[in-house]
Amino acid sequence: MGRLALAVGAVAAILYPIPLQLQGTTYYQTVGFLVLINAMLGLGWNVIGGWAGQFDFGPQVFFGVGAYTAALLFVRLGLDAWLGLLAAVAVAVVVCALLTYPLTRLRGHYFAIATVAIWMIAQPIGATWEFIGGSQGLFIPVKARASVAASALSLQFSGPTKALGYYYSALALFALTLALMALVERSKLGYYFRAIRDDQEAAEGIGIDSRLYKVLARSITAAVFAAAGVLYAFWALSVFPEQVLELNWSTLPIMATVVGGIGRLWGPVLGAVILIPISQIMSTTLGTGPLAGRGIDLIVYGLIIVLIAAFRPTGLLSLPWGRWFRRRRAATPAPAP
Amino acid sequence: MTELAQAIVNGLQMGFLYALVAVGLTIIWGLMEMINFAHGEFLMLGMFGAWGLSAGLGLDPLLAIVPLGLAMYGFGVLVYRCLMRRVQGGDPFTQIFATIGLLFLLQNAVVAGLTSDYRFVGDSLLARLSGAKLRLLGITFGVPLLAAAGLALLLFLALYLLIERTEFGLALQATSEDRDAARLVGIRPQRMFAIAWGLGAALVAIAGAILVNFFAVYPQVGLQFTVLAYAIVALGGFGSILGTLLAALVVGVIQSVTVVYLPPAFKDAFVFASYLLIGLFRPQGLFGRF
Repeated sequence: MGRLALAVGAVAAILYPIPLQLQGTTYYQTVGFLVLINAMLGLGWNVIGGWAGQFDFGPQVFFGVGAYTAALLFVRLGLDAWLGLLAAVAVAVVVCALLTYPLTRLRGHYFAIATVAIWMIAQPIGATWEFIGGSQGLFIPVKARASVAASALSLQFSGPTKALGYYYSALALFALTLALMALVERSKLGYYFRAIRDDQEAAEGIGIDSRLYKVLARSITAAVFAAAGVLYAFWALSVFPEQVLELNWSTLPIMATVVGGIGRLWGPVLGAVILIPISQIMSTTLGTGPLAGRGIDLIVYGLIIVLIAAFRPTGLLSLPWGRWFRRRRAATPAPAP
Repeated sequence: MTELAQAIVNGLQMGFLYALVAVGLTIIWGLMEMINFAHGEFLMLGMFGAWGLSAGLGLDPLLAIVPLGLAMYGFGVLVYRCLMRRVQGGDPFTQIFATIGLLFLLQNAVVAGLTSDYRFVGDSLLARLSGAKLRLLGITFGVPLLAAAGLALLLFLALYLLIERTEFGLALQATSEDRDAARLVGIRPQRMFAIAWGLGAALVAIAGAILVNFFAVYPQVGLQFTVLAYAIVALGGFGSILGTLLAALVVGVIQSVTVVYLPPAFKDAFVFASYLLIGLFRPQGLFGRF
């Protein structure tokens, strides 16, 4: 993607919530927050799914691990959110590495089901483990902060700027994730991941330890999911097992990645920008009419996914945009000097 | 001791129902090696079909098996011809996404049409039998579940004979082994895949018509059964019809025995823990051979 497009996108993302704040329609800031969280999760899933080529259906486990770790540290020890976020990422990476290493013996469908299996086991643990609040969950108390800086440092925003604060926090985490993923994509690590995806035997033949690199790939995915989980927990001010371990935390980012372009750095971002607002726009346009709450948005999701899979499985970014763009530019006569 | 024996018997009876759900998946996934994440939605359509025929026309779910099976056969063929044929040759990921899209589409089309309410089949042959119980050595057998188990066994036997003992079954197996070689001996692979999808959809719809006698119907009902069905097919060894039946019985027993000792929330967790253990030490499944 060109530098110009990147700059325009960055400026748009930074300016987006400001007119909304002035108008008082902070609801659309929350829509932006959800787009950013899902784009971030999609970037994370793209590592194990898109680059390493392993179908992971259970990364939401690490979303939950992250949310619980930071919430517990905050509630029990009073540790601030950003430190909690570092701890959550560390815990998620360790848990992921320990769980995933044995799984890497499995390939293809077997690996996919094994990731689902871990999610199926995590759910009753989350619902019954008293230490993390069981089915009651954990509540995160809001502490009054003296200034904007104090709010930002503790990831606790309240009052009329709540949505704005979380939007910019999500934007910061998203930008950090994007930058890290851009590094991974061009690093040796990224090439190893793709080599394993394209031909595992050949990759092993040139000395790549496929099991180790699959564990690394999934640990990067887990780290991103854990960080997003912390952000979500502090936004929602609570952590419930059925809420943080919900299947949507993996299906929406996966769908966003596929629609945008699996295995492409910007794929999940484009997909999230297209898919996530659909629900919100649908629910405002349908209002309280007869079709409200009837899953029309999910029908549209399903339709988009089916069409992409049938006609352009490599995603929207793989369309020859550059050629179309250049042809149109060539067709318009250059203005006389 | 009686409690444990009773749990095992209950588990076996549930296992037969799980086997019915899983067997359609064995054909599409295990035998033909195509992914269908919308399998649970096919089940849901079968259950809603049986509910609709019962509520609208007063047809007993057990009699609804015939029209539902035929209709869903057609639906399965249609899904293959319109969608799956396009994504078959490419990356296996594409099959996953195509069927996840189908899952969202079907599930929410039903939500849009019929809302997410729970529905029950009021009056059916099996429901009328529900009071009837057989007692043997202090263990209770519910007659409806016993009847359903018998039906499941019959279907399995028919399917086993069809796949393992007929020329058609051989053609199906040959297609899954090597498509090009199959074409050389005059088998049309696309037709075989279409038939497999039709059979898979018909079988799971029949399973749905039997399940409505015991479970409520709602648009999201599929997921809990599909997730188990996937574990069952993998446990049984891909494409092995008898393996699927045995694995389903094992899963049913694990669930009901778990509930005796632990909170009910853990019943699926133990099934999946067993899947992980077995998967790590015997990746081809309990009864698979390769």
